Amino acid sequence: MAESGRGEAAPGRDAPYARYALGEAYDEMFARDGSVRPHYAALDARLRTLPPDDLARRQQACEQSFLHQGITFTVYSDSQATERIIPTDLLPRIVPAAEWERVERGLKQRITALNLFLRDIYGEGRVLKDGIVPRAMILGSKHYRREMRGLAVPHGAYVNVCGTDLVRNEAGNFVVLEDNLRVPSGVSYMLANRDVVRRAFPNVFRAARVKPIEHYPGELLATLKALVPFQEDVSIAVLTPGVFNSAFFEHAFLARQMGVELVEGRDLLINDNVVYARTTSGLKRIDVIYRRVDDDFVDPLIFREGSSLGVPGLFNAYRAGNVVIANALGTGVADDKAVYAYVPRLIRYYLSEEPILDNVQTYLCREEKSLGYVLANLDKLVVKAVGESGGYGMLVGMHASKAEREEFALKLKADPENYIAQPTIQLSTAPTFVDGGVEARHVDLRPFILTGEETRIVPGGLTRVALKKGSLVVNSSQGGGSKDTWVLSN
Amino acid sequence: MLARVADSLYWMARYIERAEHTARLLAVKLESMIEQSPEEAEASWIRVVAALTGKEAESTDAFAITDSLAFDRLNRSSLVSSLQGARDNARQVREQLSTEVWEHLNRLYLGTHGETIESIWVHQPAAFFRETLEDLFTLGGVTYTTLRHGEGWHFLELGRHIERAQLVSRLLDIHFGIVAPGYAQPPPPPKYFDWLVLLKFCTAFEPYCKEYTAALRPERIAQFLLFDAEFPHSVRFSVDRIVEALANVAPGAPPSRRAGCERLAGRLKASVDFGQIDELTGGSIDAFLVNITRQCEQIHEAVYAAYIAYDAETVL
Repeated sequence: MAESGRGEAAPGRDAPYARYALGEAYDEMFARDGSVRPHYAALDARLRTLPPDDLARRQQACEQSFLHQGITFTVYSDSQATERIIPTDLLPRIVPAAEWERVERGLKQRITALNLFLRDIYGEGRVLKDGIVPRAMILGSKHYRREMRGLAVPHGAYVNVCGTDLVRNEAGNFVVLEDNLRVPSGVSYMLANRDVVRRAFPNVFRAARVKPIEHYPGELLATLKALVPFQEDVSIAVLTPGVFNSAFFEHAFLARQMGVELVEGRDLLINDNVVYARTTSGLKRIDVIYRRVDDDFVDPLIFREGSSLGVPGLFNAYRAGNVVIANALGTGVADDKAVYAYVPRLIRYYLSEEPILDNVQTYLCREEKSLGYVLANLDKLVVKAVGESGGYGMLVGMHASKAEREEFALKLKADPENYIAQPTIQLSTAPTFVDGGVEARHVDLRPFILTGEETRIVPGGLTRVALKKGSLVVNSSQGGGSKDTWVLSN
Repeated sequence: MLARVADSLYWMARYIERAEHTARLLAVKLESMIEQSPEEAEASWIRVVAALTGKEAESTDAFAITDSLAFDRLNRSSLVSSLQGARDNARQVREQLSTEVWEHLNRLYLGTHGETIESIWVHQPAAFFRETLEDLFTLGGVTYTTLRHGEGWHFLELGRHIERAQLVSRLLDIHFGIVAPGYAQPPPPPKYFDWLVLLKFCTAFEPYCKEYTAALRPERIAQFLLFDAEFPHSVRFSVDRIVEALANVAPGAPPSRRAGCERLAGRLKASVDFGQIDELTGGSIDAFLVNITRQCEQIHEAVYAAYIAYDAETVL
């Protein structure tokens, strides 16, 4: 394959981009005319001079390193659980400084509104009285926790750790696809990816002046500490469901990086509404619990009975103010896919500001008119079950067979309130190393937003990539991988 | 330290010790086979199986026995089961270990995970066990040098030496004791070469020679493996480490909770500090060794009762 006259390698023509297909989607690296966007220039120069098997070797070394570190992910299918490496693509996804600055402002605005919303619906209920959001939708949500009503949380911060899924639409604008306000995961992969990619491209990394993210555990610790009024001897624990949870590696990683205890439900006990951990020397009081356990499993006395993951009596200790649980309980009501559609209105309502980051256009199937439209256009839409996450219970109309669409239509008609639909967004594509060459694959971006006394965001996040050609599903449970995300300095 | 974490560290060390013991017995046994007559080899296989499983050998075929002792996942004391047990426990307490310790153990586990008896038998089967031993030695060094010697370290030491004291005791019992009843055909008593192998089972051949010269005399071997204060695979050495570890675990526990464990450990220490081999002739070595094993079990139970599985009511 010949080099082009200007010493450039064109996508779809020259190595290493010979198989790089520019489609309808916005491409992170190449402009429509095939020229390299300026913030990708350094990486491009490196890729063009790198021997192909060199990249393959680095990729292999990276996978080996993940395996040895035990950065594995458990996939459950049928009755089998398999430990797998999350595939990491070595080519970083790069975001220019100015663009990130806007994203950061947008994310802060959004989390501020969402926290105000949660405080409102578990307090006065002004937003419901004013008819901004349907009362039935909130009070009827399976994630609304009546037990949380009238309970003040520190700094009004219900969501201390948020993982917001952003995608870039065809026009190149970042839009919010989903707010994850319960127990978002993936931050350990953000950090692990940085570790291996920096080693794979040391010179490009240095030259690009990438903003650091290594302080995330420190920021998380500071956020958790800010949830109690005293600062000396704050006893913090990460609560994990245990070693069989697919994100166990992350729980252990965060506990180690923060230097706090990693506990399971069986390590904790409640006496006189105070939480203690059982240690070899006796009982040790716990002040803050960063829980990586779903609401339902936190306390079998209040929520799901018979669950052995949680701690009987924990909720009463929480209500009594003797322990802080982060995230607060009942935050799931606000990342419900139906509430999602109202977030721009919530931003205007609470902050009197225009949303900086837009939503994806969303059809609420609970509204008759929308349902009709959705059923008529199933082949163009993505339909999602309101209460599900992780890519489960969803239909990507464009890629579904006729039979699959018909089957899904039945489900939809039976329970329209449980579904929303969105147009199929051509998520942006980014260069990805595939079979010895560089190809375009669809990506999203999950930054992590920390809120205690103040809101902090480390620059970047987890870029997830759909490794299957043409696929728009980036979830790791469905064949997705991840990438390092480089936010550049000015 | 969380009680659950202590539990995992303790068992991680026990499994690692068991894996090391199994790998060494198999390596030494497979290497020494060349110099044994078929009858001698058979007798010594019977002893190895008894030492590692506590059971009578079902076959005396080297391939089948090695397969079962090394690779049988259903056999809970096999090498792969021990490594799996060590790795599972380590994974539970990943955040308590240094990255070096975890990655070394994980690599060791992943490396042996894919092996089968067929894959090692075509070359020199002993070499596989030697390599595993080398890896386990490295793990020991990495642990010593990268882990803080705090409470967690002392739980590792406790697990390692409670396991080792029992494994060595059992090995001695099989070589010195009256053969347990129930064998259809009792194996012949150990001969010169078997004493040499016994020392090698405990990495004791060279240290023994330095102490007593190469003249292998059973009572000296027993003296050395039971009562030598400085040799890391003697029972006495392990007992001293147990006593030390117990003095350092659960630093915040009040004396009343420590008393039980310390009394038991003190009693065990007295019996090896003041034991004499010439008092143990004529069959009483059996009772002595069984008693060591029982005391180790009692210490284990006392540790659990005092520090790990205690009733919360008692400490509120």
